[in-house]
Amino acid sequence: MARNDITGLFGKSPISPLQQHMKQVHLCLKEFGNFAKAAAKEDWEKAESIRESINKRENKADDLKKKLRMNLPSTFMMPFSRRDLLDVLLIQDSIANITKDLAGLMMTRHMVLPTEIRATFQDLIAGCVKTSAAALDAINELDELLETAFSNRERRVVDDIIGKINNLEHETDGVQNEIRNKLFALESSTPPVDMMFFYRAVEWLGETADAAQKVGSRLEVMLAK
Amino acid sequence: MDIIAQNHEILIMLAIGFGLFMAWGVGANDVANAMGTSVGSGAITVKQAIIIAIIFEFSGAVLAGGEVTATVRKGILDASVFVDSPHLLVYGMLAALLSAGFWLLIASSSGWPVSTTHSIVGAIVGFGAVGVGVEAVAWGKVGTIVASWVVSPLLAGTLAVFIFKSLQKRIISTEMPLENAKRYLPFYVFIVGFVIALVTLLKGLKHVESLKHLGKDLPTSMMIAVVVGIIASIIAAAIVRRIKTNPEDDADFQYANMEKIFGGLMVVTACSMAFAHGSNDVANAIGPLAAVYSIVESGGDIVSKSVLPSWILLVGGGGIVFGLATFGFKVMRTIGKGITELTPSRGFAAELAAATTVVLASYTGLPVSTTQVLVGAVLGVGLARGLASLNLSVINRIFLSWIVTLPAGAIMAIVFFYALKGLFGA
Repeated sequence: MARNDITGLFGKSPISPLQQHMKQVHLCLKEFGNFAKAAAKEDWEKAESIRESINKRENKADDLKKKLRMNLPSTFMMPFSRRDLLDVLLIQDSIANITKDLAGLMMTRHMVLPTEIRATFQDLIAGCVKTSAAALDAINELDELLETAFSNRERRVVDDIIGKINNLEHETDGVQNEIRNKLFALESSTPPVDMMFFYRAVEWLGETADAAQKVGSRLEVMLAK
Repeated sequence: MDIIAQNHEILIMLAIGFGLFMAWGVGANDVANAMGTSVGSGAITVKQAIIIAIIFEFSGAVLAGGEVTATVRKGILDASVFVDSPHLLVYGMLAALLSAGFWLLIASSSGWPVSTTHSIVGAIVGFGAVGVGVEAVAWGKVGTIVASWVVSPLLAGTLAVFIFKSLQKRIISTEMPLENAKRYLPFYVFIVGFVIALVTLLKGLKHVESLKHLGKDLPTSMMIAVVVGIIASIIAAAIVRRIKTNPEDDADFQYANMEKIFGGLMVVTACSMAFAHGSNDVANAIGPLAAVYSIVESGGDIVSKSVLPSWILLVGGGGIVFGLATFGFKVMRTIGKGITELTPSRGFAAELAAATTVVLASYTGLPVSTTQVLVGAVLGVGLARGLASLNLSVINRIFLSWIVTLPAGAIMAIVFFYALKGLFGA
């Protein structure tokens, strides 16, 4: 049967795959919270099983990413630029990548955080998860945006969410600082190599919130056409 | 002259046979394009689409198709060249019908881009320029037709942008999309009913003897068009009222119920698309048949002003119904399945824009391609940021179809032309 001009006109929507990807990424980060709890109790068996599940989710996100890229030939006309969409995808993906690396680092070093910062570290995780949850909310607004053909009313909804993401990210910055100050006080009494990796773990974790914020600001660019 | 007189019956029979073949191709292929979007949005079933197609394709061809038929019949070629050899024109028109029918058959079974309009125009120009002489072709008119192939999708696209933007402003992005949809949509339907009715009255009915005086009477035509528009909007309002909305559907997605309202009105847009398609594509398919008939019946008088007998339109309509019944429903189902991305509100905007453009083209007598006009309209909705993703490579396919279909139709028509000439004598 003839490949039809009318049916050939419609491409697959990239919106739903993008949302699925962000969901996987967010779940990755959420599971890291459980991982850190298990690690704090030095229950390495449980931690290992959670780490595997994080890896699985990261792989799933990678597959979704590839699939979306394959289904996005440059001849597609979309209500936003292809570049921006691919950027958002890449930034989303980095959240999962960082989480996976962080879990890997803590696992191989059997990293046990100093008791002084354990509670604050959990706070930081919670803050990052909240930020990525807000980014997921923003991405999930995309189909409403499309349904209203990017109306101003719907844009305001997204703008509000993006504002929320920025505030949440700002809060995680504060918590990061708090941890660093505490770590600095412990520097003389802790083995330097351990110390170095504590700093690195905090930095990487903070980067997930940064990435979630970037998802929001990229989305803003996508809308402003 | 003798040739025509001697072969009077056989020539008419051939013309009817080839005309049926051609109309069958249109029904099997082209109609599905025009109405597939309505089917795809789930608003009407394939069966309903076929019933709508039969009624409105036919009335479109009869009521509004006259001008296009006339163009194909005597606009593309310079009639004065054929005054001494009318039989050549008969052969040529027969060859054009046959080649366009064959091309539809070959191309659609091989998956190449097809357009009835382009194959018919290509075929007529082909036999005219090669079989008779370059001076036989009215190049000015051909130029206008070719220009209309570029302009019509652009116009449809522009209209679609306007329609969709106004839908967005009045309905989609308001606080109460459902209420506003119920309130404003009958108004859009009124405009469409008005435009189509007015165009039909002013130009199309010229070819229906008992009604042609209306075309010269603007106030009466206006009045009738307003009445038609009001009737259309009353029907639309009734449809809207009958649609059951479920407030629970809006819990997770705000627009489910609004789309239901649009979905109900896809019946109306499907009717207008079928009417538009009938007025243009069907009309240009039976143009050559009309030409053969008028020459043969008048015994070789090229410029006879004889009115089209209604049985010629019946041949066109019958062929289309037959095409729909044999292949069309299959194509329609495939297309319907392929277009799930087009929600009813988008389909509504695109089809209204396309139908209006095609009817306007029919008004000026320009044979355009309904499929390509619809593609233009859908791209317009896309430009207004209304669709998730559109594959622009379709534009390449359209160019390809021009480049392939025109010479293919022409070459086949030339071959058939010489064959007929050999058969019946020069």
